[in-house]
Amino acid sequence: MQEKTASVEEAVALIHDGDVVALQNMATQAAPMALVREMIRQKKRGIGLVVLVGGIAVDWLAAAGVIDRLIGAAVSMEQFGLCQQYRAAVEAGRVRVEELSETLLNARLGAGARQLPFLPSRGAIGTDLVAQNPENLRMIEDPFGGRPVIACRALVPDVALVHAHRADRFGNIQYEPSAMWPDLAIMPYAARRLLVTAEEIVDSEVLRRHPERTILPGFMVDAVVAVPCGAHPTSFFPAYGYDERFHQAWTKVSRDDGQAAAFLARFVHARASQAEYLEEVGGDGMLKRIQAWDATPG
Amino acid sequence: MSGRRAHVPPEDYSVDELMVTALAAQFRDGDQACNGMASFIPVAAFMLARMTHAPDLVWIASSVGLEPRPKRIPASTLEAALWRDSIMYLDQYTDFWNLVLQGRWITKFCVGAAQIDCHGNVNNSIIGDDYHRPQVRLPGTAGLADMCSIGKDLYFWHPDHSPRSFVEKVDFISGAGYLSGGDARERLGLGGGPQAVITNLAVLDFHPQRKRMRLQSVHPGVTVEQVRAATGFELLMPEGAVPQTTPPTREQLRLIREVIDPDGMRKSGFRTRRVV
Repeated sequence: MQEKTASVEEAVALIHDGDVVALQNMATQAAPMALVREMIRQKKRGIGLVVLVGGIAVDWLAAAGVIDRLIGAAVSMEQFGLCQQYRAAVEAGRVRVEELSETLLNARLGAGARQLPFLPSRGAIGTDLVAQNPENLRMIEDPFGGRPVIACRALVPDVALVHAHRADRFGNIQYEPSAMWPDLAIMPYAARRLLVTAEEIVDSEVLRRHPERTILPGFMVDAVVAVPCGAHPTSFFPAYGYDERFHQAWTKVSRDDGQAAAFLARFVHARASQAEYLEEVGGDGMLKRIQAWDATPG
Repeated sequence: MSGRRAHVPPEDYSVDELMVTALAAQFRDGDQACNGMASFIPVAAFMLARMTHAPDLVWIASSVGLEPRPKRIPASTLEAALWRDSIMYLDQYTDFWNLVLQGRWITKFCVGAAQIDCHGNVNNSIIGDDYHRPQVRLPGTAGLADMCSIGKDLYFWHPDHSPRSFVEKVDFISGAGYLSGGDARERLGLGGGPQAVITNLAVLDFHPQRKRMRLQSVHPGVTVEQVRAATGFELLMPEGAVPQTTPPTREQLRLIREVIDPDGMRKSGFRTRRVV
């Protein structure tokens, strides 16, 4: 079997300027942040981002000028509010948004994965999402005589980025029982290339003990990188919760371009390795705090 | 709290608590419910309904965890603290949307959005008239556009009833209500639709034929004039005197404050906490 292990630098070098990149992320959950930071460090440009519900990752990519278009259902950090850098970039016309509902995005990716020209959906009929997007969404007659449906044009991202609990060096990917978003169920199958970070890389024998938890076969994967706490500051159930303080530190500066740039300079540009990054964002004290997410009285 | 006093409305409830009880009253035993992000009022309503009149209300927390047992409402309605101790995790792409789209289950959905118009269309996408150069880029529709078009009965909640949020026509339809009113929604083949709107001032419904928003009841202490002034379009009036919204009971308040949401997460998004 072919080995797939790589460094973060090598993995992200497989992303090219102008690519359409699908990102795992649900608001404050499960984003492959080490790959996101490396995209910023490598100064990727002209990236089209596909994301179901993007959070701080989207805000950073917009702040750094990496993305110029977004295909997704929402961008929000939930309790931490709107992504202000992303919002400003959209309002200034620097990022163009193709807003889709969840079933429309799932249908576009599903068609991409199955080599279909489109898949139909009933979601969003009557909304301005359809009128706004004739390039990718069209009302069509049901050939069997039923109600019209929305044809959702196939979407094939160039690359999909995923973070997982563990992998072996051949790229077989395991996931603990958790929230399963379409980021894992359909995005990787639609994309041409797949880059994965995992909390740990283990011997294949470890995966064999729980084959029911293996969610993606190694032959799909182009690069796998061991990145402990690789979703920080987003949560990664059940290993750790979201970093509340870090999200707050970002939202405190994110309305100001200069302060936002300084924040990225400190936490992204100046900290190349995961170890340096984790030390800068609070080290062991921070890790203990986010690992104790389930011990809070809530 | 027990005995007759438990059913006497107390004086000291706040408007978020009234909205929770008004929304809980829309759900029946045996219904299925799910919630999305930043949905503290619906989550509190589901938990309250399950503890009172609808013990068999099935709840899918964050649209992830079936029948969860959160200790109390946490700071996020999307994160794992809400779906702890679930019986099942639903895969969103398959399990969740198969259940929702099938139509037999999860027939009601709670909608929160920045703007709502006189026909119950909602906007969570942009403020402004240029989609690609908006004045304000809002979060986006997420699953709202789906829920509004696939035959669900829709219950809106809004903590800030104002002319800014209650507009004649939304800037962008992110979720379909009754569209241009009358039979416009029906003609597109869409079932279900907006049923009720619960705000910090009133409960509203829709005229059965015109499908235009209508005042149903005002919260205690609120006048019809206040609701009119806070609404950016001409509000239809019910026939006869406008009733008052039923206030929470002492037992409901005890459950909300002491068991369901002791940290007061339900208060986020409100400008004022008291009924006017």
